This record gives sequence, structure tokens and C-alpha cells, in this order.
Amino acid sequence: MSSTEPSQNKTWELSLYELHRTPQEVITDATEIAVSPRSLHSELMCPICLDMLKKTMTTKECLHRFCNDCIITALRSGNKECPTCRKKLVSKRSLRPDPNFDLLISKIYPSRDEYEAHQERLLTKLSMSHSQASLVNSITEGIKLQSQNRPQRSRKNHEDNSNTSNSNGNNTENAQNGSTGTVPAAPKDGTSTTGIPTPSGQSTSNPASVRSTPSPVPSNISSVSKNTSTTKRAKSILTSERSEESESSDGRTEGENSMDTEGEGEPLNPNEIELVFKPHPTEMTGDNQLMRALRDSSVRYLKTTANASVDHLSKYLAMRLTLDLDAELPEAYRLLNFCIYVAPAPGQFVPLAGSQTLRQINDKFWKVNKPLEMYYSWKKT
Amino acid sequence: MAQNINPHYASSSNPAKQNEDTIKLKDNHAVSKRLQKELMELMRCADKGISAFPESENLFKWIGTINGPQETVYAGHKYKLSLEFPNSYPYAPPMVKFITPCFHPNVDTCGLICLDILKDKWTALYDVRTVLLSIQSLLAEPNTHSPLNQQASYLWPNQPAYKKYVDEFYNKHRDS
Repeated sequence: MSSTEPSQNKTWELSLYELHRTPQEVITDATEIAVSPRSLHSELMCPICLDMLKKTMTTKECLHRFCNDCIITALRSGNKECPTCRKKLVSKRSLRPDPNFDLLISKIYPSRDEYEAHQERLLTKLSMSHSQASLVNSITEGIKLQSQNRPQRSRKNHEDNSNTSNSNGNNTENAQNGSTGTVPAAPKDGTSTTGIPTPSGQSTSNPASVRSTPSPVPSNISSVSKNTSTTKRAKSILTSERSEESESSDGRTEGENSMDTEGEGEPLNPNEIELVFKPHPTEMTGDNQLMRALRDSSVRYLKTTANASVDHLSKYLAMRLTLDLDAELPEAYRLLNFCIYVAPAPGQFVPLAGSQTLRQINDKFWKVNKPLEMYYSWKKT
Repeated sequence: MAQNINPHYASSSNPAKQNEDTIKLKDNHAVSKRLQKELMELMRCADKGISAFPESENLFKWIGTINGPQETVYAGHKYKLSLEFPNSYPYAPPMVKFITPCFHPNVDTCGLICLDILKDKWTALYDVRTVLLSIQSLLAEPNTHSPLNQQASYLWPNQPAYKKYVDEFYNKHRDS
């Protein structure tokens, strides 16, 4: 008590600093302190694993913090000193657990376990896709698919040869076929993250990756736009069953589901291909969870560039369907993986290799006078 | 205990082989996680004069570059280094070597570096960034008392001659 009261024979003068200083506010439970995420992170991080501290241990002398596992391993493997400041650490007894700090972390990050599990999943996915084994796998798969397609290609070549005496239009088509056979696959990751590019004007107003209400014909993708180009080849890609009737009358074609008004009058670029996605009739039956969730929006219409690959399409499908279903889909089905087929004849389904481009597929399989039809099936991998 | 041996391996010599494998897997996972974090941090705020990136998809082997420090005989030079991380990283140091031949008292003809923090003075707090910065400052301030390259050590006190020699050396070897 006596020490707090100024003694009689001493004069207490305040220094300049003491005159100007304001008392620090008392920190209570209701006090809010703004801390930048970065400085907070560096406070809560273990300098060894660079992760958030787990079972915090504090050095008794120098007060540096580490995860229990990290500091124990460090002490066992190297010098008996603090990894941060090299102060001597004789043994585990130079450390003490810091449960208060663990509590603080769990208060700031209550969903830490969830976050870590998420990170873990991402990392394993990353390392899986990077592993040598998966590369070898995909190569062998590719070779298998190529050998499956080979008989058809030779058959097609035969057809081409027999057709060479036909009209000019067919000749150019054959030339095109020949050249596309050697065209390298489209870059793997160019469009994959942004979705399939839609025709110029429309893509800006409503990009493919933006969520919209599920409908048989998404408004951003014109199913079939009016064809003003007059080349025979473009028509053969464009015309659909119903448009065949109108073709003779005005020479213009219109698709069966032409709901798109924005695309009206826009000439179809020969580098664009239209296609219809349908669920695989046997692999995607009604009791499939995905099919139940999709209900009547399982058929998709799409127009995209001819150099898009099957990989792009399956990524697009996965993204598009996930966005459309969103809440209805259980977490486990979030990362959808699709196998894409084409049916050159009814009931015959040919799986497509990821690197094949739409132009190659269209030229190889689709001789029918209507938009390219593809079938998708959900891979449980 | 030898410093370069991961204590997990040393302590798990007895258990079944499968158990050992899972430990190894778990360790590798923790190491790649740390290396990934280091890479992210390096990309986020690049230091002047140093850079590093994994050589291929293998996260355990990186290529680093160091610019010769300003106002030293190495100014204007650019040196490539290889960094190989053991499974016991960061408890054991990475193997760091010059790829670009470097004429320096503490660097031998194979590119091996004599630097205490890469050996007995290593601590788990060092990372790619601090290792490269340390090597960069070693270029400026060699330890001429325990040289790996005697010739460089003798020549070092005569800075103009050293500069002339090291420039010729660099220009002759930088492409090899």
C-alpha cells in the first residue's frame, strides 16, 4: 500500500511522455481488435510446417511456438536448440504445452477441421492427377480408344475414295477431312476453366459458367441459329429434321428448338458445331441419382467451336450440371466426371477419347443430316 | 544420430514393412505440403535477385537462380542452382548445388557449396528463400579461411584481378 502513495519527501514530476500519454483501453470480452489476416496467419502459423499450429508447444525460455509433432521431430533430428533463435533446448522438458493458444485458434477458426479436410482433398486430387501412374493409364486408354476407332476410320477413307467423283462440295469436304485428321488436339486447358466458348455476341451477355435456371435450352446457348451462309457443308452440319421441310421453301434452316432470339440472323461460322447432349440410355437410367436430380433438363443443346475437345465438353458438362443442380446435389456428387459417347448407329455407343476435337468427331461419325448427337454417362471414379 | 536420417525411419526399423510404407507416405505428404506452401509464398512476393521453381512435376527437385549481388565482383552474373529435398525436409537441409559453374572460394569445381547452414547449422526454419539469400550473400562475403577453391581464395584479396578473372570465367562457362 505504502509504495503506491507518494512519499512526503519526494516530488513526483511527470515526464513529458507521461504527460502526453493516454491510458491504454482495457481489453474486455467485448473489445474488438482489427487484425489483418496476414499478420494473424503469421501469428498462428507453425514456422516448421507452415501450417496452423496444432497442439501448440512453447519453448520455456525463448517463448517460441511450434506444433508438438514438429518441434519433437526437429529436436530429435538436429541440434538441440530452438529452431527459431538457436537458444539451447536440452530436451522435451524445455517445452511446455500451450492449451490456451490452441483454444484461441479454435475460437478464431471454429471450422478448422473442415478446412483442413478440404485442403487435404485438394492436395490428394492434385497429386493423383500428377502421378506418373495416371499418366500411363491415360496413355494406354488413349491407345485402346484409337485402336477401337481405327476400323471405322479405314471404312470412312474407303467411302471418301468412292465419293471423289462426286460434286465439288463433297470434294472440299473430303479435303477438310483429310486435313483435320492431322490437326493437333486443342490445348488442354485453354477453355476448360471458363467453359465452352459461346458465339461472340452472346458469350458476353451470359457466359456459359454463370448459373441460370435449368431449362432444356439454356438461353446462352443457341440450339440452332438461322443459317444465312450458303455453303453446302455448313448446311449439312446445321440442318435438323424439321428444317429439312422448310429448306426447300426459303433455303434457310431453323432448328427444332430454336428459342434463341439473340442469335437470329447471325451466320453460322463453319468453325462452329452444334450438338445435342443426351444421357446414355443404358448407363444413365431413371434410378441413377444424377438422373433423378436432373429430371427433365437432362438433354442439353450446345453450340461451340469445332476445335473444342471431348475433354472440354466433359469439363463443361461437369461444371454446367453442378451449377444447375447446386443445392439438390449431395456433396459426394459435386465433382462429376463424364464419359462421352457418340452413336454412329442406333444402339451402338462409341466412347470418345478426351483429346479428340469436335470437328474430328463430326467428320468421323456424323453423316446424318442433323446436329451432332452425343451421349453422356457419369463415371463413378 | 546422423542428421540426414529422418527420425521416423530410424525409429521404425522394427515394425512391419507395410507400416513403414505408410509412414513414408505420410511423411512425403507433409513434405510436399510444406514445399507447396513455400512455392506459393515465393510466387506471392518474389524477392529481388532470387527465384526458384520446381524443375518438373516432381516437387522435390527445384531449380533456383541467384543474381550476383550488386557492387560485388559477381554483379551482373546470373547463377542457376539445383535444390533437392530429402524426405526428411525441413528437418534436414536440401542438397544445393551450383549448375552454372561458379568461381568462388567456397564453391568447388562440381558446384558443391561449403556453407554451414546447409550442414550442421541447418534449422527447420530455413526455406528455399532463405537458403538462396544466404548463398547470395556468401557470394559477396566468402569465407577464405576454409576454402574449397584454393585459387579463388588466393585471388580474392586482389579484387580487380579477381573481377577480371571471374568475368572471363562466367562468360566462358555460363552456357555450359
